[in-house]
Amino acid sequence: MMLLGLISWPYVRRHLVRSLLTTLGIVLGVAVFVGMHSANEAVLYAFHRTVDRIAGATHLQVSAGEAGFDEEVLERVQSLPEVRVAVPVIEAAVDTGLKGQGSLLVLAVDLTGDRSLRDYDLESGDEELIDDPLVFLAQPDSLMVTPEFAERNGLDINSRMPMWTMEGEKQFTIRAVMRSGGLASAFGGNLAIMDVYAAQKVFGRGRKFDRIDVAVTEGVTVERARVAIQRLLGPGFQVGPPSSRGQEFESLVSVYSITANISSAFALFIGMFIIYNSFAIAVTQRRSEIGILRALGATRGQVRTLFLVESGIAGFVGSLVGAMGGILLARGVAGFIAGLLQGVYGIAQRADEVATEPRLIAFAIGMGMATSVLAAWLPARNAARVDPVQALQKGKYQVLSAGENRIRRRAAALLGAGSVLCLLFGRSGWAFYGGYALTVVASLLLAPSLALWLAEALRPALKWIRPVEGALAADSLIQAPRRTSGTVAALMLSLAQVIGLAGIARGSYGSIVDWLATALNPDLFITTSQNLATRTFHFPESMGPELRKIPGIADVQMVRSARVTFRGGPVMVVSVEIAGIAKRARRRPVEGNERDMYRLAAAGEGVIVSDNLAELHQLHVGDVLEIAAPTGLLRLPVVGVVLDWSDQLGTVLMDRSVFTRHWRDDLVDIFRVYLAPGASAPDVKSRILERFAGSRRLFVLTNRDVRDYILRLTNQWLGLTYVQIAVAVLVALLGIVNTLTVSIIDRRRELGVLQAVGALRHQVRHTIWMEAIAVGTVGLVLGLALGSVNLYYVLQVAARDLSGMRVAYGFPVTLALWLVPIMLGASFVSALVRTRRVGGAWLARRGARIRVG
Amino acid sequence: MFHRTSAAVLALGLLVAAPGVGAQDARQIVQEAQRRTDARSQQYEGTLKVFDAKGRVTDKRWTFARHGSHGTSKAVLRFTAPPEVKGVALLVINHPERASDQWMWTPAIARERRIALQDRSTRFFGTDFSFEDLEERDVGQYEYWLLGEETVEGVRTWRIRSRPTHTKSSQYTSSILWIRQDRYAFVRIENYKDEQLVRRLVYRHLENVQGIWTARSLEMSDLRRKSRTVLSLEKLQYNVPLEDEDFTLQALRREQ
Repeated sequence: MMLLGLISWPYVRRHLVRSLLTTLGIVLGVAVFVGMHSANEAVLYAFHRTVDRIAGATHLQVSAGEAGFDEEVLERVQSLPEVRVAVPVIEAAVDTGLKGQGSLLVLAVDLTGDRSLRDYDLESGDEELIDDPLVFLAQPDSLMVTPEFAERNGLDINSRMPMWTMEGEKQFTIRAVMRSGGLASAFGGNLAIMDVYAAQKVFGRGRKFDRIDVAVTEGVTVERARVAIQRLLGPGFQVGPPSSRGQEFESLVSVYSITANISSAFALFIGMFIIYNSFAIAVTQRRSEIGILRALGATRGQVRTLFLVESGIAGFVGSLVGAMGGILLARGVAGFIAGLLQGVYGIAQRADEVATEPRLIAFAIGMGMATSVLAAWLPARNAARVDPVQALQKGKYQVLSAGENRIRRRAAALLGAGSVLCLLFGRSGWAFYGGYALTVVASLLLAPSLALWLAEALRPALKWIRPVEGALAADSLIQAPRRTSGTVAALMLSLAQVIGLAGIARGSYGSIVDWLATALNPDLFITTSQNLATRTFHFPESMGPELRKIPGIADVQMVRSARVTFRGGPVMVVSVEIAGIAKRARRRPVEGNERDMYRLAAAGEGVIVSDNLAELHQLHVGDVLEIAAPTGLLRLPVVGVVLDWSDQLGTVLMDRSVFTRHWRDDLVDIFRVYLAPGASAPDVKSRILERFAGSRRLFVLTNRDVRDYILRLTNQWLGLTYVQIAVAVLVALLGIVNTLTVSIIDRRRELGVLQAVGALRHQVRHTIWMEAIAVGTVGLVLGLALGSVNLYYVLQVAARDLSGMRVAYGFPVTLALWLVPIMLGASFVSALVRTRRVGGAWLARRGARIRVG
Repeated sequence: MFHRTSAAVLALGLLVAAPGVGAQDARQIVQEAQRRTDARSQQYEGTLKVFDAKGRVTDKRWTFARHGSHGTSKAVLRFTAPPEVKGVALLVINHPERASDQWMWTPAIARERRIALQDRSTRFFGTDFSFEDLEERDVGQYEYWLLGEETVEGVRTWRIRSRPTHTKSSQYTSSILWIRQDRYAFVRIENYKDEQLVRRLVYRHLENVQGIWTARSLEMSDLRRKSRTVLSLEKLQYNVPLEDEDFTLQALRREQ
């Protein structure tokens, strides 16, 4: 403690900016970690809470994927002796048309029996609140809302409010208000109850239910009832407790969650390098103090502990500030995630409350401190090894011995060979990720040697530009590789990450654009919502022939999409008339024979799967797919694999006839419309809108609209990647600034001597500038090189474990070219700022001190 | 429950003094009460007044038609007022050996919905009757005990306890019936759940309609909710010409 007060505190005060920079690394890492996790947790928590509140006394829920199932299933479930109550449910998130209210979750139930499961806790006591239960059931415009929603919108009993229906915007009547809390707090209070049969009509569901909520008979275990229901309905149905919906949701958003986790880990990793750099600087700056301490009898352990405690304190303060920042960040990110989920998965979710989870905060602080201590370990060890005599010999410690370099190179070669072996022969995830880690470690070990070689290679060029200053700058790097190796390594890793992220972003974007051009080529799309992913409303099949009669329309294809369960996880089934697709939007398979693929799929003798589904589930042509359908287990062979970006968890493309038969569902989500030659898209659009005005809720989107929407969504999704890229670039810049600072401080004597022997100030400045640019160049070259390898691994990770999407390798040349001026410019600007001080009063003062010393 | 339902809402109970029926056992009394209400069909217009615990009164009107014999009869109840509920109908198809099938028809969405067995204990559209109270059940589905005789509003009655047999699913664990000794007409029924009195049905204004003694006013009280519903019968007719096909889902849809 005494040493901290005597040595550390004065240093922190003297180098406040440096100390803040050190802490910034932790702040950044912890803030991103807490922010991302809190936001993620908030969304998941909101979902779980909604499920929980809505479930009431439900023991089991019966569902058959997103497409729902026939009404008759209800009677079958109700007939089981193990079932006390079974009630039908339809759930839909709809727009209200009320300003600023977002989606309203409509829970449609059969109120005659639902009271046995859910406590509506009506405002004025029991059923009296529903002014007249018969009127509530008799009038399909009846709604029961929460008091929060009613208050927010100035609604009372018998008030009218707009809500989107299958037939456009309609007025609904508030016939009851629930009491606060419980069910009323689900979905952030934006909850409305309506009659399930009215909902079938309003949302165009036909005679189907989304699910059945079940309470088991007294004395019967939930598991026994579950088995009985499952046996009765067969494998096409999912029977499980309400909490299993949460698991499905989690698996649905797992791609996002993994991305968020990677972002957090990456942020901390970067933070670690910032701390490492900052402490390396601190050790450099305080070598004299350390030497004196050692001379006065301080042990190596005491010196090491001093630095580790310092880093621990810095880690604690940084983590605390980071955690606070993270909570603030989470509020914004939660909204972003909720929007993203609605856009990508069509799931409306509200995450109004971002809870401060003490365990998460404690973990984040612990992690921040551990990261800080870990990052400071090497500088602390170096500080402990400072020889009191050597401490006065400036610069000498920066030299790496030839032996040290040789050991590093050999270790790197060994690890490199290991990573190649893992890549060539390893089949498991462990081998792959092990190989990835070995590659990174080998690169880090090689960094000093490579930096040295590159500096030597740069020397002639630098000398050619400025014979004296160039040579001095290059020699500085060559003679003191330890000083720059940390920065070069940080730069290398940051830039490698930038290249990896930018590469996958660019590749995905390019692949999506290609897919849009081939697969989404209709002139117009008719949908039930502006958000293509939302499937709350559906069209009846009869609309197809009506559309075909509209002048200017040459062809109409009906598409029905539904998320179903496959191998325990959700996948998207897209049903469409395959023969029509083969004619209009023929795609070349990545596996399988094109002609056979379309012929067999159109005949209902097979399914086409997306490449990501094939990758995630190791599917190949000829494999028999077993998909749970309400009529039983559908078994069809895979007849082709195509590139498809429709869904991140995989798509099964099947003929409409197969879907209609097995799901007993002839509804339509999207009509793909091809225009007759010479027909004008705006004219046909107007005719469609005119034809269905007032009778159907529909949106007519042009091909451009759809492309723009998907690309906007893609950009939104890639937004996280762009943030990571920005952070990586920021770290790279911080690294350069730090290195230059070390370099200048460490070479005070040398620079002073240079001036003393007649070097002009501008010559000193030029030397530092060139050194900075050289460091930037070395880091850039190594970063781009490692980036090219990293990109390969990142693409593999995405394909193997994230989305299964195979994105073609494409080095982000444009970004790499942009990085050259950015990194070199940043190096130069950092040097410029530093040399102003060097060339001015600061150097004079320092020089004087050096001379006296 | 047969006696309550048939006597209360559907068949309304009619008793004629039957020769040879004197001191009898409980089952015989109930059987005789059922026999005396026998009619091929029945039709009336009902007015329903619901008095809630806060004194609010809700009015509704319906038409009721019943066809067939006890235990296998079919009935349609169709609301005629207020306008918001006009056309809403309930089709009840009774079975002697099991619970009835019930469907509700909602004209605004042109949809019928099945009232599940599990929902029979719930209130019948905000009234104090439950869906189960609308069922017509066979005497054989209950066990009876004669508890004694009692004078109710100046009339001698038999006091009988009934309990559903194990084949019968009911929300009530037992009921106590008061049956007039002179006309074999129900006077009062009290329904219990686990020894707690939950609903009381009182028959008033007994009149002879086409030879059948019928209560023209029935009052059902929900003792837990402290509310009551009064059903008044008008234009009551027995043995009117009705067809089987008028009591189907198709007929419900047709007449919306």
